[in-house]
Amino acid sequence: MMSTVDNPMVYGGGTAIQILIKQGILFADNFVDLAGIPGLTEITADAAGLRAGPMVTARGMETDDRVRRVAPLASTAYRHVANPRVRNTASIGGNLAHGDYRLDPPPALLALDATVEATSVRGTRSLPVRQFFVDFQQTALAPDELVTAVRIPAQPTGSAYRFVKYSSLSANDWPCASVAVLIAGREVHIGLGALAPVPRYASFDATGMTDQAAVDAALEVIAPLLDPIPDVRGSVRYKRRLAQVIVEDAVRGAWKDLDNA
Amino acid sequence: MNEITLIVNGTPHRTRVSDSALLLDVLREQAGCTSVREGCGVGACGACTVLVGETSVSSCLALATRYDGANITTAEGLDENDDVVSAFADCGAAQCGYCIPGFVLMTRELLAEHPRPTSEQITEHLEGNICRCGTYPEIRTAVSTAAERRSPR
Repeated sequence: MMSTVDNPMVYGGGTAIQILIKQGILFADNFVDLAGIPGLTEITADAAGLRAGPMVTARGMETDDRVRRVAPLASTAYRHVANPRVRNTASIGGNLAHGDYRLDPPPALLALDATVEATSVRGTRSLPVRQFFVDFQQTALAPDELVTAVRIPAQPTGSAYRFVKYSSLSANDWPCASVAVLIAGREVHIGLGALAPVPRYASFDATGMTDQAAVDAALEVIAPLLDPIPDVRGSVRYKRRLAQVIVEDAVRGAWKDLDNA
Repeated sequence: MNEITLIVNGTPHRTRVSDSALLLDVLREQAGCTSVREGCGVGACGACTVLVGETSVSSCLALATRYDGANITTAEGLDENDDVVSAFADCGAAQCGYCIPGFVLMTRELLAEHPRPTSEQITEHLEGNICRCGTYPEIRTAVSTAAERRSPR
């Protein structure tokens, strides 16, 4: 259907689309509603990890026991989306396809090395989330492609994580900086939100490092990724400074959990 | 236009709605539920909260056609002796009252999930509801009181 209508847009949970319509900044001629399609709301878990359908809600990811067990970093990030009522409706496929640089789940999905399953009449392909966000509000999805699943690898046992979000206006506003950190083995994975036109990812090997050395290494790997957009939530300088604070905060927190494990 | 049936507070309402009609407007204009209110229009304030089954929904962001056949609860459907409603009244949790139906419905959802919510769970569950009169302390007391009445220690 998406290949046959003009300028289509997938209608998932609709929570973002309705806001954009009201703001008069959404340009789509036809909405393709996923609500009636069966099988898009399922979460399955196996030894490798999770597979979640695009119409699983953010609240579903937050509260589902399997998600909390297999990928607690993902569950934590989804808990930070909007408020519980919006999370009841907002879909995880739509959240990804929206491609906004400030959304909460992308940093976690980047750190976790999740993949997006994208389907069109040409077939299904698998896109690493780390290659999914290509430019400001733009994803690697083709116009006729639909997110048909998100796959999240299981967090290794003995791993530690943190999701931290700073908001400079009100608590429920878009963040001015957000970060997801996953320390698995000796590899430190960092997903950044709101600090560049797209969510960004970096990692480094922390073998033999102390916590301070890991913080220093983290600040070094994120430095070239920072390209904040100045807005009412802060200037470029402010957001660059916050990036250092939030990354230190998250890395130190996760490191402490690792030591205590 | 689409013909849909909304079961509002137990009563079926057969209505004709456009593809883009919002649940908020249909409930207010066609089902007469004026306790469902527009505040921010973007899901942040909670004045338009309804329960679909047991689940809270921002009706200002919801397409009405998606709720064909759904069981919808608004504040009109709650008795004045309802444990949450009576707790809000007894605790003086309303000043102007515009936001209160949303708070009451969110509280019902919270208590269905956590019969004895901690103060942190109350804060987290109500974080998407705004009271411009600022009766938050009374609202928090009302939620705890409702929990106590519903499931006494």
